[in-house]
Amino acid sequence: MTLLMMELLSGALFAIGLYGVLARRNAVLVLMAIELMLNAVNINLIGYAAFLDPGRVLGQVLAIFVITIAAAEAGLALAIILRVYRNRGTVNVDEINLMKW
Amino acid sequence: MPGVNFNLLWPQLLVTALAFAVFGADLLMRRPQRALLVWISAAGLVGIFVFTLVYLWGRNTTLYDGIFHIDNFSLFFSAFFLVIAVVVVLSSAQYVRQYLTHPGEYYGILLFSIVGMMLMAAAGELLTAYVALELLSFSLYILASYARNEPKSNEAGIKYVLLGAFSSALLLYGISLIYGAVGATRFQDIALALRGMEGVNSLLVVGIALVLAGLGFKVAAVPFHMWAPDVYEGAPMPVTAYIAVGSKVAAFALLLRLFAEGFAPAIDQWRLLVAALAALTMTTGNLVALTQTNIKRLLAYSSIAHVGYLLMGLAALSPLASTGLMLYLVGYAVTNMLVFVCAIAFYNREGKDEISALSGLAGRSPFLAGAMAAALFSLAGLPFFAGFTVKFYLFSATAKAGLLWLAGIAITNSLISLYYYLMVIKQMYINPASQPTPLRLPWPMVALLSVLVLGVLFVGIYPRPVVDAIQAATQAIFPGGMLSTP
Repeated sequence: MTLLMMELLSGALFAIGLYGVLARRNAVLVLMAIELMLNAVNINLIGYAAFLDPGRVLGQVLAIFVITIAAAEAGLALAIILRVYRNRGTVNVDEINLMKW
Repeated sequence: MPGVNFNLLWPQLLVTALAFAVFGADLLMRRPQRALLVWISAAGLVGIFVFTLVYLWGRNTTLYDGIFHIDNFSLFFSAFFLVIAVVVVLSSAQYVRQYLTHPGEYYGILLFSIVGMMLMAAAGELLTAYVALELLSFSLYILASYARNEPKSNEAGIKYVLLGAFSSALLLYGISLIYGAVGATRFQDIALALRGMEGVNSLLVVGIALVLAGLGFKVAAVPFHMWAPDVYEGAPMPVTAYIAVGSKVAAFALLLRLFAEGFAPAIDQWRLLVAALAALTMTTGNLVALTQTNIKRLLAYSSIAHVGYLLMGLAALSPLASTGLMLYLVGYAVTNMLVFVCAIAFYNREGKDEISALSGLAGRSPFLAGAMAAALFSLAGLPFFAGFTVKFYLFSATAKAGLLWLAGIAITNSLISLYYYLMVIKQMYINPASQPTPLRLPWPMVALLSVLVLGVLFVGIYPRPVVDAIQAATQAIFPGGMLSTP
């Protein structure tokens, strides 16, 4: 495994996540796509730490923070999505359109 | 650990303690007593404001090996945030009583977001800044969707949280690329690495662009502004005011420190990007604002336009431009608080937020109409009001930094913006009222509005004391007045 392969993996994962955010219409799936993007970030952080900065654990520490905050973010977002589902009966982001322009 | 002085974090710890005290008091109080929570929060914040000024005055040090900076810059912004928080808490009182449930959580979460903002202004490292930013953002997601059974508030919440999480992912990816490019996350280490670098580093440029995109979402810069009008319209009105003022000031505090202390040596690689973002943001904001019929949406687009002016100060990035930017933030904050408090006072009485509902307001409540007119004149940048003075400083600083074309676009935009602000004033003063009953305001609202009007006039006519404080703050992030621009 080389640095370039690591960068390609994380770049691909980020791109898949980005595509998911833009193409998916279900709010829960959008959230999952965002989690993919955050995982690409973690691969980057740990990979750079291992290849470029061995001996220090800065990248790994950053990744732990990112994982923690991503978990909290998912919990909060799901709570809000649940609220919308109770009130509107849908989590399709195209149908949640009371306000425009 | 040697050299760690935990005492320097007292202001943040005290605001956290106040938040828990509010939660606890909410638990112990009976329902009618909960109206007291607003006074507990406000009194606590005023106390912490005084304590912060006295305790941290003139300190210039770092904490945890450079992760936090306790200097004039963070002191200035901490005091600024506390003042914003007091105004938001006081303006929420009647709104929360009338339209929302669970006041304890409302004020508690509001206080947590203040902690996040104070940490953002003090952060000297990318991940710390990110964690502080998320503390602020999470609180705002909850507050935006706080009217749980209101479909519009739900919609605001879901749009805000999804786009906010998306922008965090962009920001984090940018941070990881910068870490890969320079092997550091502390702002000063980044600057050090950049000074030793030759030529253009593509990893770094993409990283800075992604960080800019992520923070651009948070301040609602075009093309990352889609969430702003919907969230502004759907969120409870005091929360809208808070998002419009507090979160933007905090994000600019972070941007300013990050770019001045971290990215400044690579200025040639990002200046044009920021300048283009600024020009696009102000033009789009002003043009779309022309067609709005809802006061919250109008103010959303107006604040997008103001973000464009503010980004201009970032593109110029000199001690002079940074002073201009911070002065603009002060003027923007006091003016926007005034216009939002007027809108809240009106909404509390009438339950309407359409611009057409304001017709004939001058006859119904001359005081409210006068305060609103003062705020709108200030937003448009007419002399004697805060808006003119701060625009004058910022635009001339931008022109001096060699971005004359950008200042020209900004002045043209200011003229466009005059039109839609005057339309609201015409609605209040010339159009007849549909129901000419007088509109009475409760005394706390009148007092708050009077203070804010005085604030707008004070910054407009005699900005000297504010400018002095800001210059002291600027010196903290530009050591030795470095970076003289052509």
